[in-house]
Amino acid sequence: MQSISFEQNISAVESAVEQINERFELVGIKCEIRKHKAGRKFSFVHIDCPPNHWVSLAKWLKFEQNVDYLSMITGIHFPLEFEFFSGKPGYKPGTPEKGWEVIVHLTRKGIRNPNVGEQIITNAAKLTGMGIPLEYQVSIVLPQTDEPSVPSVQSIWEGADWNEKETWDLVGIAFEGHENMMRVLNPHDSPEGFHPLQKQHKIRYHDHNEMYDDAQGFMRKPLDSDKKK
Amino acid sequence: MAEMWITMGPQHPMTHGLWTLRVKVDGETVVDTVPELGYIHRGVEKICEARDYTQITPYCDRLCYASAMTWAQSYIYAAEDLLEAEVPERAEYIRLIAVEMQRIASHLMWLGAYTPDVGNLTVFVWCLRDRELFLDLLQELGGSRMHYNFPRIGGVKRDLPIGFATRAKAKIEMFLHRLKEYEMLLDESTIFLVRTQGVGACKAEEMIDAGVTGPNVRAAGVNYDVRWAHPYSVYDQIDGVAAVEKASSNEGSDCYDRYRVRMTEMIESCNMILSALDNIPGGAETHYNKKDEMIYTKPPSRAPAGNTGFHHFEDSRGESTFYLVGGGGKKGRGEFPYRISIRSPMFITIPFVAKTMIGYKVADIPAIMGSFDPCIGETDR
Repeated sequence: MQSISFEQNISAVESAVEQINERFELVGIKCEIRKHKAGRKFSFVHIDCPPNHWVSLAKWLKFEQNVDYLSMITGIHFPLEFEFFSGKPGYKPGTPEKGWEVIVHLTRKGIRNPNVGEQIITNAAKLTGMGIPLEYQVSIVLPQTDEPSVPSVQSIWEGADWNEKETWDLVGIAFEGHENMMRVLNPHDSPEGFHPLQKQHKIRYHDHNEMYDDAQGFMRKPLDSDKKK
Repeated sequence: MAEMWITMGPQHPMTHGLWTLRVKVDGETVVDTVPELGYIHRGVEKICEARDYTQITPYCDRLCYASAMTWAQSYIYAAEDLLEAEVPERAEYIRLIAVEMQRIASHLMWLGAYTPDVGNLTVFVWCLRDRELFLDLLQELGGSRMHYNFPRIGGVKRDLPIGFATRAKAKIEMFLHRLKEYEMLLDESTIFLVRTQGVGACKAEEMIDAGVTGPNVRAAGVNYDVRWAHPYSVYDQIDGVAAVEKASSNEGSDCYDRYRVRMTEMIESCNMILSALDNIPGGAETHYNKKDEMIYTKPPSRAPAGNTGFHHFEDSRGESTFYLVGGGGKKGRGEFPYRISIRSPMFITIPFVAKTMIGYKVADIPAIMGSFDPCIGETDR
């Protein structure tokens, strides 16, 4: 199978990083080349974007750089402190400036509609310039807050719609301007403010010891144990 | 005529799993649709935050029961990116053979589930019969029929057994003959053609914008494939091309194109397996012991501080992606991921398909939905 070569990849990444830095450096968007650390060790574009510039960056990527595909939106919760193992507080992943992070993975695929009865067969070895497929990773860091929120890009990539729904549902990061936000994986009548991937929610056997001490949960007291009958 | 809402699912032959499609109909015409997912949400992402990197692989197997090997490998590549693990080349070849066999088995499962929807029960029985050929081969590798737990971070669990290559080649030869029988049966079946041709049309650009990938996009006449666009494994060293079909109308590819592209993809996967068996370093009839350096390199058990890993992977249904952040809790010798995020192709595709149905008849819903190959295990995670 004819595939993209290392030289094509690095030339595409370098030109993309250069263009982003040239255009967005003044507003605080930082862009750098990062490498995958296993396998082919190909490079991709990593962008650190403040939340208020995310929509303008997204529009520019979509309409000027031909980034036609939104792959995944990931929300991550970094609280100042939480109990990773029960009874052992002191695990401190977050800082006052970094309480939440939204990671967006984008891809430039360069797909065009073929005519009826025709095929567009791309020869990977002959791709140049903007035609070379490229991976983007955008990181949007939010400060410590109880109501994290970033602007929605639902109107730019249709594929962002359900990704944003899922991120809100599971992590609790709101997307401003998202139409028809709703629960998609959790039950639709879940309590307001319940987002299971936030770190204050523990899964039942988060700790090895807890699991071995009480594998079936028999030692838990019934809810009415202190009440006189 | 008055419009009304019909609820199809969660138990309905159209759904191929457990979810609900609410359809607004005007007579027989579909006017609006709302998909409702989440019936089998297991919280895999949360569970994995309390497992070390090796323990996560079996959970990824169980993301999709029809295509376990591709999901396990999709995770393994992301984990290797996070842990900076090296993989021997022979192990990459074995993984490629395993994943292409799984792709064939998955497409056969799809064809077997799809044809009864559009009025042909014979192919269902044939497909399940021939799927066993490949499940038997995969069982030789992983030890079980569906959930293999076969790839390891840094290699594979076992080498190819002695005689595996001979058996694989014989079975593939037989299978390629049988594929022709399927084509003869389906391409000449008027019922099948009437129900699939000109139904469920969508264009390549629309699909990419909505996040639909894989065979569904290649059916619209574009040969985009992660295997060459973001290369991994050893696909560039073997024969085989990405299967493409021609869009058959101005509105784009229809259900019939999506059937054709999967048939071609099965043939291409067979070619890739044969080519990989011929080119594998060390020879296909050699068997190395477990943890031999030819098939396994011990990976670090902890990720370097601040490291993240992600990997695009060509799953049987489209592009699956894992994103991992290292440095969760430390316990004993291992480490848990701080966050693991899964991109499921069908989770994004199902809402798109629901929109595609608008304007067609109620009777077309199973034909359109089935042609995109839904799998609810990975959708709900």
